[in-house]
Parts: sequence; structure tokens; C-alpha cells
Amino acid sequence: MQAFGCIKRIVTAGADAIIVYFDGANLDEANNACHRMLAAIDAKKGPITHNGVGKKPDGDTSTRWRWLRECVPSYDSLLIIFDMALIDSHGVYRALKGLGDDINTPRAGKEQRGNNALVEIPVWYGAPSASDLSLVSKKTSLSIEEIIKLHTSAIYKVYAVGFSPGFAYMGDIPEALKCARLGTPRKRVPKGAVAIADRQTAVYPSESPGGWNLLGLTAYDMLLHSDQHSESRLKAGDVVKFVSITEQEYKAGLQVER
Amino acid sequence: MRIEVLRKGLFSLIIDKGRVGRQRDGFCQSGPMDNNAYDWANFLALNLDGTPCIEAIGEMQIRVDQDCIIAVTGREPSLDVDGVARATYQSQKVAAGATITFKSALLGSKAYLAVYGNWQVPKAVGSACTVVREQLGGLDGKGRVLKDGDCIEVLANTRMKDNVKMRTLAQQFIDDYGFLESIRVVPGYQFSSFSNVAIRTFETSTYTVSSSIDRMGFRFTGESVASDMVGMRSEAIHLGAIQVPGDGQPIVMMRDRQTLGGYPKLGCVSPCDISRLAQAVPGEKVNFVFQNEEEARADWLLTTSRRRRLQGEIV
Repeated sequence: MQAFGCIKRIVTAGADAIIVYFDGANLDEANNACHRMLAAIDAKKGPITHNGVGKKPDGDTSTRWRWLRECVPSYDSLLIIFDMALIDSHGVYRALKGLGDDINTPRAGKEQRGNNALVEIPVWYGAPSASDLSLVSKKTSLSIEEIIKLHTSAIYKVYAVGFSPGFAYMGDIPEALKCARLGTPRKRVPKGAVAIADRQTAVYPSESPGGWNLLGLTAYDMLLHSDQHSESRLKAGDVVKFVSITEQEYKAGLQVER
Repeated sequence: MRIEVLRKGLFSLIIDKGRVGRQRDGFCQSGPMDNNAYDWANFLALNLDGTPCIEAIGEMQIRVDQDCIIAVTGREPSLDVDGVARATYQSQKVAAGATITFKSALLGSKAYLAVYGNWQVPKAVGSACTVVREQLGGLDGKGRVLKDGDCIEVLANTRMKDNVKMRTLAQQFIDDYGFLESIRVVPGYQFSSFSNVAIRTFETSTYTVSSSIDRMGFRFTGESVASDMVGMRSEAIHLGAIQVPGDGQPIVMMRDRQTLGGYPKLGCVSPCDISRLAQAVPGEKVNFVFQNEEEARADWLLTTSRRRRLQGEIV
């Protein structure tokens, strides 16, 4: 499938899905292009009805994408899952091409995400249950002090939320900290583990398997819980900074979060 | 009526079709591991598509306090009611107070129990499906697996006592769960970053189902198929995606997979074969074969229309 506009590459993902990769001068631009296309596709989706009261889609109903199952955005890519009974990948491609040019041009103002408040996440670096510091030190040839200093030095953007509920992918970490994933993923990473992989950093919101290099623990809860619903505390576009704290401060933080 | 769990088996969950449209928030798709068996169970128990049902590993025993209609499906499942064997893949009338025991023949594969009626289970993030890792769904809505003594309320349908027609699925239409036939894979994602040697190796080698199989993914052991990619950005993982981490051992991503991940992927298991693969047990040998997306779609359309025809005919 031939790329067009802000799209760098479109490939098959599976029998009922294609994945679109976006282009841009930097990751930030590619990420914005991804969210522009997602917004344009969402507008084509049928109305989301709750007890008959629904949001009206753009244009007349005949242009609705009834074949659309689900879209899953990430850093610079968008997975589009379709109903094979209603369309094939070529049809999906044509539909995307028909979205028009407005998805290719950045919208002034709308993508200025700088107004988001800076979220500070306190980290107990080197916590025994979540520390690959010596491994990271080997991979990067940095001392443990330098690793902590570098990780806390930058301000990160949340590019995507996924992997698990509330897992916010943040970047970019300083080039010197760049660090490949583990060859074999861990079966169990503790809740609150702060981790890095490639140029990305994140906090594990709950205990789960994972292949990232662990730096420490935070008491900051990544999920807001209620009875019927839970949602991510960080959203795509938020800005985040990590702050180094002691074991005692971490334990005090756990009490507060509870 | 109430379904009381007498013995929970090894791992039993309340499931339904799963969550749609929430992967962008990080909530996994969830849903039945063996979607075909799940669909048949509800059809045979006279339920609407998408009605909750129990997915059980190991032998499970329940008791019902009212007359009802049930159906058990899965990989070589067995069912007995008050100690008397009953046919699976068939609607079964069960009397009030009966003790129902069911399981799948191979330890680690899943059996499905559907009970006719309206299941009174809470929905969490749009579905009753239990996801332990996300603390979602199930009886308490918080992802707890079924345990001995649990009671599930099912509102019996009043039409039941009338002459409802019992349903049977003929043997030849039950999925073939052996692995003599290769698992079909549609090339996709980072396919082109794998060397020809790696692709050939993947297609010509036999892979063994490891003991690391769960609702998130199935790990296989066998010839290494490492990709040439070094470091990639995390991206959405589709159902059946074959992820290859640095150790070169493929992992097929299943229903409760994480929504995003950064390991290179060869493509996805064909939608026709994912239910079958989800019933594999540790030690079984599996071969993979590539097929293009058009063939995969044609196969899927054929399978789906056959199912629709059968469901229309048996009613």
C-alpha cells in the first residue's frame, strides 16, 4: 500500500487490520499526525449511543464507517481493525485516502499541549524489588549516579497510554541513557516500577510482565479507581518530570496514596 | 435461579465477548480464548450471542437450584449430571438441584459452560469479562476468579418450559483441535525486517508449546527466528500477533495481551486458527504456515457463513 500525506508507511497487521506509521520532522510531529488521523476517523464512526441519546457523526449517515471495529494509537502509529465481512484492506486504504487533506496539516493552537501542568513523579531509585541499575550501568557505561541524574534531568511528554490500563509511554530520555529491552521479558514487574527502554520511560501501574529495564519504585498511583470505572491518571500530551527521593520518603508516599 | 460453584477447578472465569474500543486507554481486549467454542456454547444453550459464560481449566463442579438448559463445549469436553454422562455440544435439560461436572480432556485446555437465561453479573468498563491483571470483571467486577461457594444469579427465561427445541452440533462441525494441520499466519507488521533465513526457519520448523501459556500469550520453544530490528517504538498489538523478542522464541499474543508493545512481529495468526491455537497445551507440537491476507479473509468468510448456515438450520 502506497504511503501518502503524513503517512510514512502502511502495512498489513493481520487479516482484519492494517497499521499506519506517521512521518514528521520529529517524534512529536509524527505523534500529532497520528492523533489528527484518529480524530478524523472517530468522526466517521457511527454514533455512540447511551439509551438512544447519541453523538451525531459528521456528514450524512451513508458515509459512516460501519466496518470500523477499533483504532489503537501509539507513538507514531495507528492500528485500524475492521470487519472482514464488510470490507477488505484495500477498501480501508481507499477510505483513509478519502479523509482529505486537513489531516496532513497541523492545526494551529490545537496541538499546543504546553498548557498541561507539569506532573512530578517521585522515585526511590534502586529499590531492591525493582532495580536493574547495575545492568543499565553496564549497557550505557554510565555510573548509577549519572543514570539517576540523567533520568531526572529531562521533562517528558506522554506520547501514548497503553500496554496496560494507565501505562503512560513517556519520552524522550537523554540519548546517553538509551538502553535496549531485556532479551527475555520478566514474568513479573512490581506495581510502581519506573523503567526505561530505548528512548522511552514509564511507570508500571500494576504488577505485570514486562521487558523494560527497571530503575526504581514510585508510590504515585497511575490509575484513578471508582466502582464501575477506572481511568488513567496521565493522558497523552501531559508533561512529566521524575524526582529522586529516599526509601523513607517512598514509604511515606505509599501511606498518602492509600 | 442460582448457579453455585461447588468445585472451581484449576482456573475458572466468567467471560463474555470482551471489551471493544477501550484498547486505546490500555484496557485489553479480553473475551473468550476459544471464541468458537464460546459461541457454540451460547447457541446450544439457546442464549443470545455475547451472553456471559464460564471458561474453565480443570474439572469444575456446579449446582443449579432450578430446572434449566445448559451446554458444554471446548476441546474434547466431557459433562456429567448427577453422575450420569451427558453429551457435550448439545442442549441439555437439567433438573433443579442437579450437580453438574464438566471439564476438557487435556489439562490446560478450556471448557465452556453456558446456561440459558439472563446472567446477573456486573459490567466493568463495558464487559463482564474477568481480567485478573487489570482487576476488572467477574462476579465482583474487580477481576476475581471464581472460587468454591460463589453464586451466580441467572434470571430464567419464562419461555423455557414451553416446547423449546433442543440443539445439537453434529460431530463433523466441531472444530478440529489437533495440530496435524499447520496454524495459518498472515505476514504483517515488521515481517520485512526478518531475514529470508529466519522466515524459512519459522515456516519449516516445529515449535513446542511451552509451559508459559496464559490468557496474555503463548510462548513457543524451537528454532530461533531473531529479527534484524534494533529498537523500535511500541505499537498496537493485534489479536494473534506473533511477537519475537531478542531470544528469537515466538510468542503468540492472546485475548488478555497488553495493548502496546515494542518487540518485532512476524504477522498475525489467521482469525480462523486463533481459537484452535488457544486450546493447545504444553508439550504439543505446532507448525506455522504463511498465507496472504486475501486467502485468510476468504477462509474466514467461508467459515463464518458455514456457521451462520448451521445456526439457521439447527434452530
